Amino acid sequence: MMRHRSVLFALLTAFLLVAASACGGGDEGGGGGGTGTTASNVSGSVTILADWTGPEGESFKAVLDGFKQKYPNVDAKYRPSTDIAQDLSTAVEGGNPPDLAAVPNPGLTADYQKRGALKPIDFAKSTVDDNFSEDWVNLGTIDGKLYGVFFKGANKSTVWYNVHSFQDAGVDAPSTWDDLTQAAQTIKASGVPAWSFGASDGWTLTDLFENLYARQAGADKYRQLTTHDIPWTDASVKETLQTMADVFKDGDNIAGGIDGALQTDFPTSVSNVFAAQPKAAMIAEGDFVPGVVAGQTPAKPQTDYDFFDFPEIGDTGKIVVGGGNEVIMFKDSPAAQALVQYLASPEAGEIWAKRGGFSSPNKNVGEDAYTDELTKRSATALANADNFLFDMSDLSPAAFGSDAEFSILQDFFKNQDVDGTAQKLEAAAAKAYK
Amino acid sequence: MTAAAAEAQASPAVRKESFASRAGRFAAKTPVHIFLIIVGLLWLVPTFGLFMISIFDPALSATEGWWQVFSDPSTATLENYRAMFQNDAIVHAIYITAIVTAGATALPVIIAALAGYAFAWIDFPGRDVLFIVMIGLLALPIQMALIPIFRLYNTLNLYDTIIGLILFHTAFAMPFSIFLLRNFFVGIPKELMEAARIDGASELRIFFRLILPLGLPAVASLAIFQVLFVWNDLLVGLTLAQDNQPIAATISLQLRQFGSNLDVIAPAAFFSLVIPLSIFLAFQRYFVQGLLAGSVK
Amino acid sequence: MTSTSASVVGQAPAAPPPPRRTVWRRWGPALPFVGPAFFLLAVWYVYPTIATVIRSLQSNAGGKFVWFDNYKQIFTDDILLTAIKNNAIWVAIVPAAVTAFGLMFAVLTERVGWSIAFKFAVFAPLAISLFAAGVIWRATMYQKDPSVGSINHVIGVIRDTFTESGVLTRANPSTKDVTGSTNQGFTLDKDLKAGDVALLGLTAIPPDEIPETAKQAEDPQAKQGGITGVVWRDFKPGGGKPGEVESEESGIPGVTVDLLDANGKKVQSTSTEANGTFTFAELGTSAYRVRVDKNTFAAPYGGVEWLGPKLITPAMIIAYIWTAAGFAMVVIAAGLAAIPRDVLEAARTDGASELQVFRRVTVPLLAPVLSVVFITQVIGVLKIFDIVLAIAPGSTRNDATVIAFEMWRKSFSGQNQFGVGAALAVFLFVLVIPVLILNIRRFRRENVGA
Repeated sequence: MMRHRSVLFALLTAFLLVAASACGGGDEGGGGGGTGTTASNVSGSVTILADWTGPEGESFKAVLDGFKQKYPNVDAKYRPSTDIAQDLSTAVEGGNPPDLAAVPNPGLTADYQKRGALKPIDFAKSTVDDNFSEDWVNLGTIDGKLYGVFFKGANKSTVWYNVHSFQDAGVDAPSTWDDLTQAAQTIKASGVPAWSFGASDGWTLTDLFENLYARQAGADKYRQLTTHDIPWTDASVKETLQTMADVFKDGDNIAGGIDGALQTDFPTSVSNVFAAQPKAAMIAEGDFVPGVVAGQTPAKPQTDYDFFDFPEIGDTGKIVVGGGNEVIMFKDSPAAQALVQYLASPEAGEIWAKRGGFSSPNKNVGEDAYTDELTKRSATALANADNFLFDMSDLSPAAFGSDAEFSILQDFFKNQDVDGTAQKLEAAAAKAYK
Repeated sequence: MTAAAAEAQASPAVRKESFASRAGRFAAKTPVHIFLIIVGLLWLVPTFGLFMISIFDPALSATEGWWQVFSDPSTATLENYRAMFQNDAIVHAIYITAIVTAGATALPVIIAALAGYAFAWIDFPGRDVLFIVMIGLLALPIQMALIPIFRLYNTLNLYDTIIGLILFHTAFAMPFSIFLLRNFFVGIPKELMEAARIDGASELRIFFRLILPLGLPAVASLAIFQVLFVWNDLLVGLTLAQDNQPIAATISLQLRQFGSNLDVIAPAAFFSLVIPLSIFLAFQRYFVQGLLAGSVK
Repeated sequence: MTSTSASVVGQAPAAPPPPRRTVWRRWGPALPFVGPAFFLLAVWYVYPTIATVIRSLQSNAGGKFVWFDNYKQIFTDDILLTAIKNNAIWVAIVPAAVTAFGLMFAVLTERVGWSIAFKFAVFAPLAISLFAAGVIWRATMYQKDPSVGSINHVIGVIRDTFTESGVLTRANPSTKDVTGSTNQGFTLDKDLKAGDVALLGLTAIPPDEIPETAKQAEDPQAKQGGITGVVWRDFKPGGGKPGEVESEESGIPGVTVDLLDANGKKVQSTSTEANGTFTFAELGTSAYRVRVDKNTFAAPYGGVEWLGPKLITPAMIIAYIWTAAGFAMVVIAAGLAAIPRDVLEAARTDGASELQVFRRVTVPLLAPVLSVVFITQVIGVLKIFDIVLAIAPGSTRNDATVIAFEMWRKSFSGQNQFGVGAALAVFLFVLVIPVLILNIRRFRRENVGA
């Protein structure tokens, strides 16, 4: 009687819920908003998801404060994330993506664009063209439409070194790769291994590959390899792999040896170089290294640590391999458009640049915005590079560039088998680039 | 008075005997004592290490072991804790977590006790099959449930609500809780319940007056596990909440992108220990209380 | 009203199937008890399960039905096969170990008065989230470097008390005519006669390893009737000239130098001075060689590679047992507390020994509780994820992986292969059912007659 009815009611509710949620799901994209609205007319709310947490998150919030001053009627919310790939996957798959997201790999952008989850940002085209070099604009363009603008950049063609170790060994910052290998031997003789690798984080190995390949094979081949127009078994790839093998063969010259480095993650590999008792003299990684140094070691800029540009090989000119966070749009609205325009402007970048720990790919963010000598050097190199090449693994499909490539290069780190590795890379790429 | 006199006469003999036998039993137990002490100390090492890291200079934690604190006390610092508590977001998160934990502990206990009793003592059609299927549901990885529930919550406006979090945790506690309580209740002697039924008690009355009190050790264990699980939950809080995130999720968003982050994780993890452990200490006497001793007349 | 059902994992009554009306009514008494639970299960469990099954039959990007393609991938992918193998190892070892530890601790602490402190120690790991526990083990216990990893530190300390320490930990020869290694010693590949001079230059020596008593290296003076030489750190900032003693290069004192005859046999030994020089006096006319003895070098302890491919699964299992034994102990202790004391007393007065009481009375009475612990652990271990994510470094992920971890990798780590991920979840689910039935049957058999 009463009990039966309650059961029926419960079952009915359950079925209704199931039905409702099955129908819900779809992403309702609103119509494209008008452009050219004045700042105070724009109202609404916009949420942006990005992986800037901790102190970086605070800096980005300061940037949003600047936005709020310009657009007082817009409620801009920042959603931090520790795993942006995961959070975006869940949100998009679950039917409720954020309005905007700043993703570190354009490969991810391409995935979402293919699935039809993204809205183009052509309304910002003129702002973007005014503020970014052609290389950067092209990176944000898919099939002729602009989908993303790069807000934060990273210069990965830097090598950070322990000033005292270099002094003890009596070597100067080298400018060519041959000079560098020679310096590495001298450093080794001075009693400290030259290299520190965080090989347990596979992307550190892909960074090394990309810096070498860009300089040995040149920018054109680099781009062809990125789109898989040439195979990974190409002779140019093997040449670079051989150069890497030459470094890895000298296990005594790597902090922890090959086995130790394979278990070392990136942050620890930085500490190894700049701790009070250094375990290595240098690390070839990007301009985000100082952030780790400041958080984990007592080393001070220029007195204890410094950097030199990744050395040249041959005469391919000044190449910068780097990365960046691309702002992409999932849901269109006047508020979202306003934020995109703002982030594309030099004003936004300057706010963060002044706080430190930031490089802007925006060519109109002046040198003076940077308060720190080292950041000034690396950031200007980034924005003014003759040839800027985006990190290849970040441009590749995630199954390759964020997964298979890592483990294959980790195996290579251990066995230094050039031919076998090239074949494995080609097989994995063929699967992923379908 | 006769009884008291009899007792007084009997007690010296009882006392003497128990002292001798107690001494005998203690000697036999010494290996047990030693074993437990050694195992206990070893078991404590990582937890102790956790505490030491939380007071260790963050600049050193990546390259030096925490035992350095003993050789060089200057490396100890409370800076990690200070940084954690200065954060407003954390206070709000603790408040949210407390409410969610309380709700997601009380609710499952009641609902699972009811269901557990039914599975143990009420014969209804399909009981066995349903029981096995229910335990089998434990196999569903929580990540796979998150996406459909995320979608559901958005439709029902339960996203980012405390009640949404509570209901999720309650539902997910069901299989294990019902399993545990059912297997406890199964051990209650049938005669007790028969006696109560003969006395004219209804099913619900038997449940509340007889079963529940007898099952207190199980209920206590369940409560403590649920408190632990919900308090430390990270994934559900991250996915189903945004402004109302519980503590673990909030702390995870304090982590620097690159960095060993031990100086953030360690104090947070150690601080998070305190609440559940206090509850454990408060509840633990229910684990050892022999409630059924002497209850069978 | 209720039928007298057996007190074990139910036996259906032997009556013939009742007519519909009665079946519905037989649900009646159970409804207020199971109603709320079933509602929660239906919405939060059953619905996502159905959604997942459907999703597993669809393409990764969603929308299209590819039916069993995703499942095919599970059995052809190497990494996934490793995952399945690893899960099998976990299931074979861990539930039994955790239950055994829990039983042992519960029983032992019952007899000891101060058990609360021990229980506290074993229980504390549970209060740390599984992820944080994994981070702690990885960062502080399992690190290879003995100056960071606790376990290797202890092993290193023990090892150091038994081995003698050398002057240096490592070195390389500075010139081609010095050959060897720290394991064999460094020999100068030149025949020497009385009156000759030997230069043994070494590099790759950290400056802080040079003993404090060391002085600037000096060229040895040739001595009539004897062989003289110098062992020094052949490096100055910039490298210097290998093989030549220069300023800013320090000698290495306290190094044992061997004098070898023509057959390679050691005939004399001596030790270097503060400036690195050494002398062998009063030698005949035969040819000799000199060697830096290998006892000069005490390689620092390298440390066991807990996080390497061979040991990663055992390492994770140890960390997991550390967290889970407390759970088993608490549940079993509660079960022990619920056993009526008089049953045990009766057995004891009947003349049974403690062990017999334990085996014949306690354990069978505990069977339902033990089954809860064991089965929960089996399912938990099949689903194991947090520990793998926290402990396995990127380079050993493919060796350490388990099914739930692959599921996460495929669905959530940016690969967006949701179809395959869902298929893995369903696969996991299907794996659990037979394991479950097996174990419930086993416990039911042991419990008959209780």
